[in-house]
Amino acid sequence: MARIDVNINLNRVEGDLEIGLTLEDGVVTEARTIGTLYRGFEQIMVGRTPRDALVITPRVCGICGTAHLYSAVLALEQAWQVPVPANATRIRNLCLIAEGLQNDFRQTFLFFAPDFCNPRYNRQPWFTEALAAFEPFRGAIYLETLATTRRVVEIVAHFGGQWPHSSYMLPGGVTLSADMRRILACRAVLDEVQRWYEQRIVGASLDDWLALDSADAYFGWLEASAHADSGLGLLSRCARSLGLHRLAAGTPHMLSSGSWCDPEHWAFNAEVRLLPGGFYNGDTGQIEAVDQQLINEHVRHSWFRPYQGGRHPWQGETVPDFQPNSDRYTWAKAPRYGDKVVQTGPLAELLIAGDALITSLHAAEGGNAWLRQFARVRRVALELLHARRMLDELALNMHEPHFLDMPKSRELDGEGYGLVMAARGILGHWLRIKNGQVDKYQIVTPTAWSASPRDSAGIPGHWEQSLVGLSVQDPDNPVEIGHIIRSHDPCLVCTVHMLDTGKRVRFAP
Amino acid sequence: MRHILCFGNPLHGDDGFGYAVYQRLAGLALPDDLRLFDVGTPGLAALTLFQGCDDVLIIDACRSGGEAGRLSRPLPETVMAEASLAGHGVGVGYILQALAALPETMPRIHIIAVETATVTAFRPGLSAAVLKAVDEVVVLLRPYFLDDAA
Repeated sequence: MARIDVNINLNRVEGDLEIGLTLEDGVVTEARTIGTLYRGFEQIMVGRTPRDALVITPRVCGICGTAHLYSAVLALEQAWQVPVPANATRIRNLCLIAEGLQNDFRQTFLFFAPDFCNPRYNRQPWFTEALAAFEPFRGAIYLETLATTRRVVEIVAHFGGQWPHSSYMLPGGVTLSADMRRILACRAVLDEVQRWYEQRIVGASLDDWLALDSADAYFGWLEASAHADSGLGLLSRCARSLGLHRLAAGTPHMLSSGSWCDPEHWAFNAEVRLLPGGFYNGDTGQIEAVDQQLINEHVRHSWFRPYQGGRHPWQGETVPDFQPNSDRYTWAKAPRYGDKVVQTGPLAELLIAGDALITSLHAAEGGNAWLRQFARVRRVALELLHARRMLDELALNMHEPHFLDMPKSRELDGEGYGLVMAARGILGHWLRIKNGQVDKYQIVTPTAWSASPRDSAGIPGHWEQSLVGLSVQDPDNPVEIGHIIRSHDPCLVCTVHMLDTGKRVRFAP
Repeated sequence: MRHILCFGNPLHGDDGFGYAVYQRLAGLALPDDLRLFDVGTPGLAALTLFQGCDDVLIIDACRSGGEAGRLSRPLPETVMAEASLAGHGVGVGYILQALAALPETMPRIHIIAVETATVTAFRPGLSAAVLKAVDEVVVLLRPYFLDDAA
C-alpha cells in the first residue's frame, strides 16, 4: 500500500494556511488544515477605545474589509443601543454587495475555472472551449472578468473614498449621503455588470434566470446553447463531466446570518434581513432560527491557552500558546454551532434563504463542490437585484438622513455583536466595553468555520471532512485537490508539497 | 497625470523598500500633475492605480541574484514573466500582465527595483545596502517633483 503525505500551502492574501493530506493508494484518508500564522487582531483591540474597531478590523482582510467594517459597526450600535437610519443601511448594503460581486466573479473565473485548462484535460470534449474562455490572460471570460471587477468596487469608493480597508461606517450611519451624482455613477456600474452577467455569464435575462426554479429545468438549460455556451454553462459542463457534483460535500450542516439588514425594519434589537438566515440541520433537513448564543469556539487542537470544551465569543479568549510536539496543529480555532461542524458561504446562504433552484439542486444531489461554485454565481443575480433596489430606494428617499448623531453620554459600557454574510459566509464580531475601553473583542470569520481544525471531541472541520475520500490520480499534478479547495473560496495560493520527494506544485490565484 | 506607486511590505525586511521610499517622498511638495501612493501589497486592487494617468513609475524590491542594494530599471515585459515575491499577494508581474490584457491603452510604465539582501517574514527593517539605495532613489526622483518636469 502506497502511503504519501501531502502538504498544501494556502499561502497568501490574509494569513498563511496549509493543508496536510495523507494519501493511501491515491485516496485521501486524512486531512488537517493548519493555520501557520498567529494574527491576533482580537488582542490588538483589547484596551483600545471602541471606535478603533472601525479602523483596525477592516484590515483583517484585503478582500472583505467592508464586511468587517459592517460587523464592527453593528456590534458597536448594539452595545450603545444606537438607531440607524434606513439610508445608512441602504448604503452599507450596496457597498457590501459591490464587495461580494468582485469576489464572486474573481473567485469563479480567475481562480476556479482556469483549472479546467489543466493539460490533464486536453482530451476532454470541452477542452478547447475551456481554453477559449478561461485560460489566464487569454480566455475571453477571464479577460472580461478582470475588466468588470475592476469597476465594481468603484461603488465602495464612491461612499468610502477607497477600497479595500475603508472606514466610512460609524455608529448611527455612514459618513456620506447618497446624492444624485453618486447614485447615477453606481447605477452605471451596475448596469454594465448586469449586462455582462446576462449576456456572457448566464445567457439569459436576470428575470428569466431568477425564475428558474428546479434542477430538471436547469439540466434542460444545460442542453440549450444560450446557457450551455455561457461562462457558467461551460463551467457547469466541465465540472459535472469530471464528477465534481458527486464530490466533497463536507459537513451537511449549514449556517447563515441572513443577508443584508432590512433598511426599514433593522434595529440593534431587531434582526430583520432581506434574505433570511438560519441553521440548516443536515440531520433533519430542517431550517432552524439562528441563535448566536450557540456559537462557540474550541482550542483543543489549536496553539492557544487551553480551556475545556467550547466557549461563546463573549467568554472566549485568543491567548497564543505555541505547543510544538503535541497533538495541537494550528493557529486557528474550531468554531461550532452547538456541537455541529457547519459550512457557510453562498450555498448555505441561498439554501437557507429558500432559493428554489439551489434548494432543488441540493435535494437532487446533496452538497458538493460544483454546487458550492454554482451557488456563488447564482448569488450574483440576487446581489444585482438587491443592489438595484438599494439605489432605487436611495433615489426615492434622498432627503432622509444618512447619519443620526448620538450624544457621547450614550457610549456606555456593555456588550454587542454584529453578524453579516461576507463573501465567504457568516462573519461575526463580538465585543465587550468596560470602563470605556474594549475589554474583549472576538472575531469569527467564515474561513475560521471552513478551515476549522478538530474540536474537543476530535471531530474534523468542514474542509478536513470534504477532502477525505478524494482520489488523486497524479500526486505531481493534483488538480482534483485544486478543484475542491477552490470551491471553498480560500482565495489563497495553494502549494502542494510532496513530503516524500520534496516536490511542490503551486495553484496560484 | 503621473503616478508613483511604491509597492512592498515594511514588515518583511527589504520588501519594505517601496514604503521607505514613499515615506521620504511624502515629505516633498507634490506638483499638480503628480500623485504618490503607498501601495502596499493590494493584489488586484492595484489595477485602479494605473487608470487616469499617462505615466506610472513603480518602486519595488526584487531578487534576481545581483548585488544587494543595486538599483535597476527592468522593463515591464521582463517583470511580467517573473514570479511574485513571497508576501506580495498577486505580484507586480501579474498586475502588469492583467493590464496588458485589458482592452484600453496602458500608461507608460517605468520600474525602479532594488536588489534585496534579506526578505524575512515579519522581520521589519531594511538592510544597510537597501537603506542606502533609498537615498539614491530619492535623489534620482528629484526631477519628478519639479513643477515643469515632463
